[in-house]
Amino acid sequence: MVDVAGRPAEAAPAPLRTDAPVAIEVRDLGVQYSLRFTKKTTLNRSFINMFRREPADAFWALRDVTFQVVHGESLAVIGPNGAGKSTLLQVLAGIITPSEGIVDVDGRISSLLTLGAGFDQDLSGRDNIRLAGAFMGLDPATMRRITPTIVEFADIGPFIDAPIKTYSSGMRARLGFAIATAVDPDILLLDEVLATGDETFRAKSKQRVLELVRGAKGVVLVTHDMNWVTEFCNRAILLEQGRIIAEGNPYDVVAIHREHSEQSKAERQAALDRAMKDGAVGSLPPDAARSRLRS
Amino acid sequence: MDLTAEAPTHFRSTGDRPGIIGSLREAIVEVLSRQRLIRYLVQADLQKKGTNTLLGNLWWVIDPLLQMLIYWILVSVIFQRGGPDYPLFLFSAILPWKWFASSINDGITSVSSAERLVKQIQFPKLVLPVAAVVAGIANFAFGLIPLFALMLLFYRDRIEVTLLLIPVVAAVQLVFNMGMTVLLSALNVFYRDIGNLARHVLRLWFYLSPALFTLEQLTHATREFPIIQRLLLLNPWATLFAAYHDVIYEGIVPDWAALIRVLIGSIVFLGLTTIVFKRLEPAFAKVL
Repeated sequence: MVDVAGRPAEAAPAPLRTDAPVAIEVRDLGVQYSLRFTKKTTLNRSFINMFRREPADAFWALRDVTFQVVHGESLAVIGPNGAGKSTLLQVLAGIITPSEGIVDVDGRISSLLTLGAGFDQDLSGRDNIRLAGAFMGLDPATMRRITPTIVEFADIGPFIDAPIKTYSSGMRARLGFAIATAVDPDILLLDEVLATGDETFRAKSKQRVLELVRGAKGVVLVTHDMNWVTEFCNRAILLEQGRIIAEGNPYDVVAIHREHSEQSKAERQAALDRAMKDGAVGSLPPDAARSRLRS
Repeated sequence: MDLTAEAPTHFRSTGDRPGIIGSLREAIVEVLSRQRLIRYLVQADLQKKGTNTLLGNLWWVIDPLLQMLIYWILVSVIFQRGGPDYPLFLFSAILPWKWFASSINDGITSVSSAERLVKQIQFPKLVLPVAAVVAGIANFAFGLIPLFALMLLFYRDRIEVTLLLIPVVAAVQLVFNMGMTVLLSALNVFYRDIGNLARHVLRLWFYLSPALFTLEQLTHATREFPIIQRLLLLNPWATLFAAYHDVIYEGIVPDWAALIRVLIGSIVFLGLTTIVFKRLEPAFAKVL
């Protein structure tokens, strides 16, 4: 491990932590995936797996994750690909239940993970709005109130009464965004969905996201855009391999993240060089070269 | 802003899973509190089925008639078997079976085909198979149209008040349909070949049940093999087909004791499959 990781995160304490009410509380969270079932298995495959059961058929996507989000806080979650960022958002949204630990969420959640999720291709835009509202658990009165707003925001004209399958991908994205952002949530979960559609719509959607961020009591944002982190978040955590490596002031955490990714890039390059050299000599079977690459 | 919603605004999520009674209670609350969602899903399903084909919902009327015709040609014309008014006898079994088979076929993929929703929105997954089964009722209801047409045109003398008991038998079948579909929809998330398997199992099941022949013929044919007979009579469809034949074809009241046994068995079965579903539910978002 790299020694910068041990740097105390308390250097930048969140100013609101002492008295503000807690919106999200995560304690010792662990999420375990069973590799035996993660891909679309058939009976055949699972019989095969049963006979050569590998010891590593389960892995922890998240482990020992503990943090709080208090009212007024905007928390960025950063880290390399596969660090468990999206899994963390899914847990906060209640989509995945933890394998261990406790997650407490106080307030109405809206996750912009849901852009156009599960649009029914054969139904009209309007029917899809209704269905999406019912999936999100919004009551009829709320739906009646927000449907005109959604239609107006999506701005797809008469297509709103045509089946989704006739939509262009831009129209689909716009409708998805309009539905996902129609309700002002207490707690907003964002997963890198800020850029959709053409130039004008992108500006409009960024505006709306900022509105939601300001209106929400708590925000958790997963992104690779470090400018967003330093500009809009007042705290950040760095996830690597499912564990919190650093937590605190966005500038500091982003700096650690940058250092780490430089380092791992260099390591990967070195491993690649080594493997290439070995491969050129021809002393290693291709499998060994690959396993070396991984480590 | 005050948002009254059907989904809870506060939740705690832990590694603990509720016990058997807890799972069952949770399932009942989920289905009852999400009735509107189920209704929308059913509407969407029916709307799609009606608009995707040239003849639309007319297929629900034509389908069982064609199937009846095939079995009639096979049994009466080719094998020279079957009893009096055999087409009506056939139809009174084909109608509920088509409902059963279509509920299962639609229901099996109800969860796995909602992959993106399951991974991106928190909602009780139980609504998916339940909606598929409820939508299947329309299949049965439309099939009653050709049944009554058939009776009015050709079998007027077979019309009895016992026809009014069709909904009672259908209600028992609905519970059984639900149990099977809930179970298979959950298993299909993990094993996609359940669907392939189900097609063949359903076919065998139909032929082993007294659908094309009577319950008496079944017991008579297996009288030498009491164990096989017992097994075949344990089949809920033995009772269900006999009950449909009784109320539609024979014009007599069904064997109430047997029907109540199937009802109780189906309720217990539905309870068990619901518990299995709830146990597997947390893994859906990870596996899909």
